[in-house]
Amino acid sequence: MSELKADKLVDGTLAWRAPPPPLVRRIATTISNVWYELRKSRTASIGAVMLVLLFGACIGTPWLATHDPIKQNYRERLQPPSEKHLLGTDRMGRDIYSRLLYGGRRLVTIAVVAVTLSLVVGVPFGVLTGYFGGLADTIGMRIVDGLLAFPGLLLYLLFVTVAQAWKFEGVMLDVVLVGALALAGMPEKARLARGSVLAEKQKEYVEASRAVGDSPARIALSQILPNILSPLIVTATVRLGFVILIVAALSFLGLGTPPPTPDWGSDLSAARDYMETHPLIAAFPGLAICYTVLAFNLFGDGLRDILDPRLAER
Amino acid sequence: MLAYTLRRIAQLIPVLLVLSVAVFSFVEALPGSIVDTLVGTEGGDIEEARAILTKEYGLDRPVHERYVLWLGRALQFDFGKSLVTRRPISTELLSRIPATVYLAAVGIVISLLIAVPLGTFAAVRRNSAVDYTAQVTSLAGISIPEFWFAILCVLLFSLYLGWLPSSGYVSPFEDFWGSLQFLILPAAAIGFRQAAFTTRLTRSSMLDELSKEYVDTARALGHSERKVIFKYTLRNAMIPTITISGLQLANLLGGTVVLESIFAWPGIGRAIFEAILQRDYPLIQAGVLVLGCIVVVMNLLVDLTYRLLNPRVTFA
Repeated sequence: MSELKADKLVDGTLAWRAPPPPLVRRIATTISNVWYELRKSRTASIGAVMLVLLFGACIGTPWLATHDPIKQNYRERLQPPSEKHLLGTDRMGRDIYSRLLYGGRRLVTIAVVAVTLSLVVGVPFGVLTGYFGGLADTIGMRIVDGLLAFPGLLLYLLFVTVAQAWKFEGVMLDVVLVGALALAGMPEKARLARGSVLAEKQKEYVEASRAVGDSPARIALSQILPNILSPLIVTATVRLGFVILIVAALSFLGLGTPPPTPDWGSDLSAARDYMETHPLIAAFPGLAICYTVLAFNLFGDGLRDILDPRLAER
Repeated sequence: MLAYTLRRIAQLIPVLLVLSVAVFSFVEALPGSIVDTLVGTEGGDIEEARAILTKEYGLDRPVHERYVLWLGRALQFDFGKSLVTRRPISTELLSRIPATVYLAAVGIVISLLIAVPLGTFAAVRRNSAVDYTAQVTSLAGISIPEFWFAILCVLLFSLYLGWLPSSGYVSPFEDFWGSLQFLILPAAAIGFRQAAFTTRLTRSSMLDELSKEYVDTARALGHSERKVIFKYTLRNAMIPTITISGLQLANLLGGTVVLESIFAWPGIGRAIFEAILQRDYPLIQAGVLVLGCIVVVMNLLVDLTYRLLNPRVTFA
């Protein structure tokens, strides 16, 4: 003990307090904590591992890819999987493995940006309309209902048509697509947020912060919002899988980014012509879509069980 | 119930207005004027044709007046003529609706035929092999893109086995058995995917019901397990399943675009898709508006049915 006291005297700090762990250790602790929570649900942990692999592949694409995804090589067209071309080549002799990687990177990015954007727009929209109620609520919810009235792909079809008519290309086309996806995903989040706010609004802590004199916007956004996040996170995760299906369906219809950009949907559509003789070409993009959607669904499902233990019973 | 119904119908009006404004602004957002597209197809004296068309379409008037004009015509089911076929759009759309309804309805029936027995059995024999199979199958059904599933079906049943045609359509009114041949693959693709959702729902609402007290009472009274499940529990558990199936049906009417184009099914979704490829904007506009209205009305009907089936829900 006497030594510790001496230390304290020397540099004026509490020497007996353990030094903060190094950054690496702290990150490791966080990961192990998160993993501990995830282990509670088998689906969540399988989904998490699948997602880590997926994001790893998306980030590491430039290093993992073995070929230029766009470069055509007619001497090596329609080849079966080999050492040189891990998953074979398509009708233009392009390496399918590299195309899958680049296509996935693009698809996952679009989906993540779109869903994030729909959360950023939809959640405050729902929280504020739910909290303030009255006319704002009525108008807001009618707008939401109006957006929900577009069945299936129709809203996206309208957006893509306008974008094509304006001759948008490349990034601009992606921006329009992301905008449409965000707009279509917004009502779901807004409704969910609004519903939770209506329940949460009655609770005591809200009354307490009203008594302290917080402004309504502050109560809604910085007091209530953090308390209703978990169902929103679950919805957003499941929605990611759904958005990937939509984007793939649009490019399957030929309404996504035009070739030669690697794209799971349009690659799959192009592979149909060779399906009878080379079924593997159509198999790989389809499997990639399945894997990705399944990863998000498993993770979302498991997350729901962890965050809402009442439902886990079922 | 009547007051509630009337209120819900009144609530439809603003929703339909939002829908119509969105659909109207879609054409407004297109570059150039619709007259340019039309003049190109008509030929003759361009300036004169332009003036006539501008007047006909009311393009010399401000936007809000044009909207009212358009909406007024749309309410009478007059959407003008298709730019491609020059036939009235309303006839084009009406002729396409039966095929879509046929496909969507059979698809939903197939999904219920899969989902109800599978979901019920999974709940009754919880954690059994059947339960796990049901859960894995429904996860797969949610994750597999329907267009890929459809392609795989075509590959297996049309190309390898040669049992069924890969695409096409025959009206059931002309040749019922012949039409079934073409219907099986697309309807199964729809059914499998929709069943993925309803199986889970049936399973979880069945589990919910089985844990209720009336089930114990029924068992204590000595009813057979079969009677308890099929006569009492399943009936209550079916309410959410039926509701969701109704909503799925509504959505499918507009959501079968991909399958309709894979299987060359002459439905309304394919009509809109073709219109997009041919830049037939008035047809796209009208098609989306009609489908949107169908969805809104269907949703209302489903909601009202739900409340009829389940009187405990308050009419708030």
